[in-house]
Amino acid sequence: MNVPAFTRLCAALSKLALVSAVVCLIAVLLCVQLQVLGRYVFNDTPTWTEGLAMLLVLYVTAFGVAVGVRDAGHIGLESLLVLLPERWRLRLELLVHALVAGFGALMAQSGWVWTQLKWSEPKPMLGVPEGLDYLPLLIAGVLIVLFSLEHMRALWRGEAVRPSWY
Amino acid sequence: MELWVLGLSFALLLLLGVPVAFAIGLSSVATMLAADLPLALVFQKMVGGMQVFSFLAIPFFVFAGELMLYGGIADRIVRFANSLIGHVRGGLGMSNVLGCTLFGGVAGSPLADVSAMGSVMIPLMKKEGYHADYAVNVTTHAALVGALMPTSHNLIIFVLAASGIASVSVFGLILAALIPALLLTLANLAAAYGVAVRRGYPTHDAFPGWAAVGRAFVGALPGLLVVVIILAGILSGVFTATESAATAVFWALGVTVFVYRSLSWQNFLKACAKACKTTGVVLLLIGISSAFGYFMALYEVPQRTGELMQSVSQSPWVIFLMVNLLLFVLGTFLDMAATILICTPIFLPICQQYGMGPLQFGILMLINCALGLNTPPVGSTQFVGCAIGGISVGQVMRSIWPFYGALLATLALVTFVPAISLWLPALMK
Amino acid sequence: LTLRAADVHNSNEYPTVLALKRMGELLEQRSAGRIKLKVFNKGALGTEKETIDQLKIGALELTRVHISPMNAICPQTQVPTMPFLFRSVAQMRRALDGPAGEEILRACEPQGFIGLAFYDSGARSIYARKPIKTPADAKGLKIRVPQSDLWVAVAAALGANATPMPVGEVYTGLKTGLVDAAENNLPSFEGFKHFEAVKFYSRTEHSMAPELLLMSKKVYDGLPPADQQLIRAAAKESVAFQRLRWDEQEAKSLALVKAGGAQIVDVDKSAFQALMPPVYARFMNTPELQRLVKTLQETP
Ligand code: NA
Ligand code: NA
Repeated sequence: MNVPAFTRLCAALSKLALVSAVVCLIAVLLCVQLQVLGRYVFNDTPTWTEGLAMLLVLYVTAFGVAVGVRDAGHIGLESLLVLLPERWRLRLELLVHALVAGFGALMAQSGWVWTQLKWSEPKPMLGVPEGLDYLPLLIAGVLIVLFSLEHMRALWRGEAVRPSWY
Repeated sequence: MELWVLGLSFALLLLLGVPVAFAIGLSSVATMLAADLPLALVFQKMVGGMQVFSFLAIPFFVFAGELMLYGGIADRIVRFANSLIGHVRGGLGMSNVLGCTLFGGVAGSPLADVSAMGSVMIPLMKKEGYHADYAVNVTTHAALVGALMPTSHNLIIFVLAASGIASVSVFGLILAALIPALLLTLANLAAAYGVAVRRGYPTHDAFPGWAAVGRAFVGALPGLLVVVIILAGILSGVFTATESAATAVFWALGVTVFVYRSLSWQNFLKACAKACKTTGVVLLLIGISSAFGYFMALYEVPQRTGELMQSVSQSPWVIFLMVNLLLFVLGTFLDMAATILICTPIFLPICQQYGMGPLQFGILMLINCALGLNTPPVGSTQFVGCAIGGISVGQVMRSIWPFYGALLATLALVTFVPAISLWLPALMK
Repeated sequence: LTLRAADVHNSNEYPTVLALKRMGELLEQRSAGRIKLKVFNKGALGTEKETIDQLKIGALELTRVHISPMNAICPQTQVPTMPFLFRSVAQMRRALDGPAGEEILRACEPQGFIGLAFYDSGARSIYARKPIKTPADAKGLKIRVPQSDLWVAVAAALGANATPMPVGEVYTGLKTGLVDAAENNLPSFEGFKHFEAVKFYSRTEHSMAPELLLMSKKVYDGLPPADQQLIRAAAKESVAFQRLRWDEQEAKSLALVKAGGAQIVDVDKSAFQALMPPVYARFMNTPELQRLVKTLQETP
């Protein structure tokens, strides 16, 4: 089957995002367990674990949110659309994806603003730039725009978007 | 004026079918524009809203729940529950209630509960001659207890939603939820029994004897222990609520991989992936709700709602009843997390004014949200249950009333008898 | 013109919240009702860190924050946080009212903030299940500290096991023995009910870090000079009022914790102070910061 390049790109990005999310989630888990271990076993609580865990969970969320958009995982009211005639339903569904894409674009733009604004500020206990907290907004925003466009295109052609990884 | 923009755009976007989190985000953007505030604020609130250490418990409890869902813990629990009460009238229904409650205790999520227990129990019950609507209702209602169990990430969501209004400890709320969870289980058992008797469902097997119950219990025990670990771990000061959630993940992993040897690599990856997706969905909702909460504080929505309610009545009973009604109505449309995040800042202050503390309010809120999970138009556990049972939501509504009765009775008790939720936390002080 | 001021304290009677309201009254009087100030406490507009960022982009006019979250943004604000810097609360007040205090407030301006005033936050001391009279008592103690490098360094200098933890988890942590000790001022020891968990409040008074009242420079620059002066004056005047309320609050908290069975322990501060040079060497690492330390210390 001839899969268009855009779909292939989105599928690859989605898989990459989800794998990264899993890696980050496991790292968050290890951070918190290390904290317990440090407190009891070494009587020296590592002070960076909490900050790192909180930072990484933002990345888990960003990747998860984006993949959720592609795999239609976000919860909403859909029952009303069912009542509409086919032609209107398609238009409304396109509109919904366009609105989600718009929100993604704003998210990316604001993420970029905050990342820059907070880049020179060091994060307490970690020393890395505070701006790293806002980078996930940029990543998630861009992915949301791409995945929403993919959905719009698929709707238009009467195709379905399939999850690329689990 | 800005408040109208917020409310109307939110309602409109929801009706259009925009996912709740994005509807909240977009209506916040619209309000920022109307109020001439920088848009970047929406996203600052969003990131800020996610950066609370206790939030880490949410992905952990979600992760643990997924591992248990795919790791064969449900089968052991079904076996144990069956051996214990499978022999009474409507026995499978009753053991379904017990099993769901126990699995809810380890997984802490109604949805995981219905998926795991439902896929074992509903086909089994249908095969034994129970009607599909009964099988689905028993499962979906018993699963709701999961929202009140110590591993419930919704408890954490409430603690965070309440944090600007009152300081609630995660552990306090876990304790407060235990007796209501027990009551709800008993009420569910009564409803399951009542319907079974009325429909004349038969009794099947004989009681297998205590030795068999004991063997089944030992089989289920490693999975069930996670609840004990969480409670004992926090109580003894070994770890914080967040750390206990991380421990729950390792425990679930250890039990499913080394004890039961039932978690395949494929299922492990699947659990990881699902946990990340759910974390994204839930944390986005939490983050974006703090933008919503910002406007509600800015435009004094809680105070106004409170004044409005007070103009109707000054009696605490009537106020609590109104709060319950409003929560129920919102809960039918919104997801559990969204209801908690949006409604807590509005209704907790007024309930406090009339003498209801945050712990009791939290339980009331959770039971209301649970009710919403089994109410159309948006009832996620109901959807899953119906899908497994192969029936429509309309069909399942036919025998739902005894189960609603069980929920409402528990809700009424929690609302008007504070000791039910407050006795245990007070004991631990 | 309505200015909005953020504060994270839940109580409407908390000294800083009262001081902000007082400042609002002054502003309204003197501008003949033209300038109003609306206080949003209970963290309604966000955490301290968030409100600081809101000031920066001009989305909020005023915020009252503890000085710690400003440390990463403006290094000069670290100076009054340093351990055992001041001899007493009275001396701290005189020092911050002086030129060094003014210089620290002004140092926030290039970062986008008008430092209007310092408010009091009393003195922080260690509380635990046992009296902490000497550094030896603190050795190996699992002590909760705020999530900041400076606090971790101070605890480490005492030989304690610093455990950063959000304040909301401290009560359960102390109660269950997850941490052995914490440190804070008297109103927090009382307000968070920590005195129910541990009974010995040892007056180490290791830090007298103040609170800060900040204004958005973006907003401030857009105002006519007369209004700017009005705001600065009202803020400065609210300081005396805040200190009065603070002293009352402290007396009230002291009575409450004593009634609750807590014991107040006097300690030899000099033994603790003697362990601090490494902390100063690490954080006060420029001539400018060292000069500010000296000026504050030498204030009579
Ligand atoms: Na859970
Ligand atoms: Na519902």
